[in-house]
Amino acid sequence: MSGAVDERVNLAGIELRNPVLTASGTFGYGSEFSPFMDLGAIGGFVAKSLTLQPRAGNPPPRIAETPSGMLNAISIENIGVEAFLSESLSALPENVVVIASCFGTEPDNYAELAAKLSESPRIAGIEINASCPHVKSGGIEFGQDPRLLGELISRVRAVTAKPLLAKLSPNVTRIDEMARVCEGAGADGISLINAVQAMEVDVETQQPVLSNILGGLSGPAIRPIALRMVWQVAQAVNIPVCGIGGIITPEDAIKFLLCGATAIQVGTANYLNPAAGREIAEGIAAYATRKGFPRVADLIGALRLPEA
Amino acid sequence: MTQSPDAQRPSPTPIRVDAEVLENHRDAGGNHCLTLEIPGWPGAEPGQFAMLKPGGPEESDRTDPLLPRPMAIYRGHAPAQSGGAARVDFLLKVAGRGTRLLAGARPGEFIHLVGPLGGSFAPIARGSRALLVGGGTGIASLYELAARGAKGAEVEVILGARRAEDLMGSDAFEALGVNFRVTTEDGSRGLAGRVTDGLEDALAAAEGPTTLYACGPTPMMRACAEIAARVGVACQVSLENTMACGFGVCLGCAVPVRSGGFSLICRAGPVYRAEDVVWEGLP
Repeated sequence: MSGAVDERVNLAGIELRNPVLTASGTFGYGSEFSPFMDLGAIGGFVAKSLTLQPRAGNPPPRIAETPSGMLNAISIENIGVEAFLSESLSALPENVVVIASCFGTEPDNYAELAAKLSESPRIAGIEINASCPHVKSGGIEFGQDPRLLGELISRVRAVTAKPLLAKLSPNVTRIDEMARVCEGAGADGISLINAVQAMEVDVETQQPVLSNILGGLSGPAIRPIALRMVWQVAQAVNIPVCGIGGIITPEDAIKFLLCGATAIQVGTANYLNPAAGREIAEGIAAYATRKGFPRVADLIGALRLPEA
Repeated sequence: MTQSPDAQRPSPTPIRVDAEVLENHRDAGGNHCLTLEIPGWPGAEPGQFAMLKPGGPEESDRTDPLLPRPMAIYRGHAPAQSGGAARVDFLLKVAGRGTRLLAGARPGEFIHLVGPLGGSFAPIARGSRALLVGGGTGIASLYELAARGAKGAEVEVILGARRAEDLMGSDAFEALGVNFRVTTEDGSRGLAGRVTDGLEDALAAAEGPTTLYACGPTPMMRACAEIAARVGVACQVSLENTMACGFGVCLGCAVPVRSGGFSLICRAGPVYRAEDVVWEGLP
């Protein structure tokens, strides 16, 4: 599909062959998807959030389906940064753009992680997960307090020269304020949104469906909320925005670009269709061709507003 | 992390494909037998599964239900001829909206499929004795195991159901030439009682190396695990759980294991040594 249209975008200093990334926590460490698509067909991927030490997840049930969405409470189960650097990265082809995601319980953990990851030439950028909605401490606490969030981003900024993305929680009153804090603290870009904190109940058993009680809602159910927040943040900051939230089709992705996102991340869709990222990238290029945009980058912020 | 049973054969590389529904008929007990034509099917090992989502390319934007459903591969473990397609059967129990849509898929419609996924049962060793116990749609996971085992081992299959009219697959299993028995809870066919009744005596009386294989409702498999432990016979079970992807990334299908922590059914399972499972921790 590449032919006539220039699909490239630059996200916060990261050169991407097209604007489609896959979202942290939905794409494993990349090679899980090798049987289903050429990983070089997408712009890149954000790996599962890492912690300094390997981390086990919550007891089952961990996931549940809801209308046009799913709830999850995994709790940042991951192999730890050392195994990621020594094993996962080397299993990937050279042409795959890898963004690492950091998670911690205090700014020092995040900074130590970011410093370790920054030593690897295979890491194109770092995304700070300040927004996991189902971990008891860390993550969302940073994402919901502007002062803590600013301190966290500053702390990580001081230890890395890699492009730095701050991933925001939607579980706040003023998303634009959180984005401005990150910009002021030195972030190169803003990724949003993480999952929406949510809950579901089984009336037969009279119990919550998740062992963790609360979980994160993802999938098409949250897409209009995500789109609204991306629109607001794109107006509020001068750094690039990466749009995330319920993107299943190329049309979904295009809406985020039109609202000001420089790139997008495909999340839950990877579960139902492990080639979703490639298909969405192809669909965006086809749309740009059909609409007469010479470059996919011309779609960014091209939303046409009603005359005032 | 708990390892899958020893001597497991390598699994074929999975594919994702839109598969046409060839047949979809009501089977016993209100269950359905769904037959798909799968282009480029790489074949499967006994015990593997696939993720099925109703709707082909035109319905790829369908968002409710959102997630595919894991289904054991019943028949059709041979790969498609080069450039061709294979017929593959699945047994469906209607448990909610997703499975109801799959059960209602008509010939000519498409199902989005990712598979084969997961590991497999360790093959039945030549010259050994194997006892296979199945209940409900769990019999699907055992069929190919029995078919391959029957060629060089002494294989006995016991299928259990509540009533005779709920029993699936008895003709298919009988045709394999295995020792075949049926139990029904109401006594309307075969032995009256549960499928695990008499199992302890049968295992204790067995001569030579014997393995018990079980797939069905969790309480049934747990009972099999306890009997096998008492008699000192190796037991393999095939577990199921809610999962969003089937290939190790959603991390939703975790089960607690004796070695500590959790194991992903889609990757380390679905087949486990019964003694590795923390049965009281299953959802």
